[in-house]
Amino acid sequence: MKSSKPRDPPANSRRFFIGTVATAGTALGANLLLPNSAHAFNDQSCENARPKSIPGGVAPFNPFAIMIHHFPLNPAVPVAGINDPSQITDFHGFVGLTHIRGGGTGTDTKTGVSSPMAFQADMGFSTGKFIDIDGRRREGTFAFV
Amino acid sequence: MVPASPDAVDVDFNNSHARLRMNHLKVFDDHDLANSLTFGLGLPGDLGFPYPQISPVAPVRAFVSFDVEWNGALETAEIHNTAEHFEGTFLKTGATIRWSSEQPGFHFRSETPPDPSGNLVSVLGHERNGFFFS
Repeated sequence: MKSSKPRDPPANSRRFFIGTVATAGTALGANLLLPNSAHAFNDQSCENARPKSIPGGVAPFNPFAIMIHHFPLNPAVPVAGINDPSQITDFHGFVGLTHIRGGGTGTDTKTGVSSPMAFQADMGFSTGKFIDIDGRRREGTFAFV
Repeated sequence: MVPASPDAVDVDFNNSHARLRMNHLKVFDDHDLANSLTFGLGLPGDLGFPYPQISPVAPVRAFVSFDVEWNGALETAEIHNTAEHFEGTFLKTGATIRWSSEQPGFHFRSETPPDPSGNLVSVLGHERNGFFFS
């Protein structure tokens, strides 16, 4: 998982956010799967079910940062050799995962100045049946943002 | 992961197509990956680990909207992975994304139409894991 950079990154600028579909998503993805997290504050929840994270994942800044229960896709690996693309376990359903790059325009809304910027995203979804942390069978949809 | 409304995802697996759409999702802009994973504490650097020093940056509330589309099978595989306890049918596909973000003082819009060549790797799967793995 990589964070991306704007083409002309201003120092300490919030414009770096445009690179954080992957970055912010990592936080959301990681935190929903941690107990007592208040970091994600999505209120589009369709239910209160809490899935269990897959046992594995990556820890890109070990030992300083949290583990991400997610296996990033590797373009060099054939699909037959991928790790589990789901972020939740005890799961039966459809999953999607993408690692994608692109460009766009960032705008300082105070000055109106716009500039071309790049992004990189690692996103996906899981939709189907799962067993939640309390052992109950549930059905739901989750986005890995 | 964040909970999503069931209609946020459409899957037509037989036609190698899926779509994920969410609007105005509240997130935190953590500035960079290191701050995202350290809750804004950054990285100390120079302690014998192969990471650069990254200054702490407090997260900022923001909103994102996105429309991700998986389309067209490039590879297909049946997987039965006893080490990770998952199995199913998996497709490597094309993909595109449109997304935007807003926060005080800044907004971003991705290019329209999205460039399909930006897809590095994308996968769709119909799978079972953990308890449902046999």
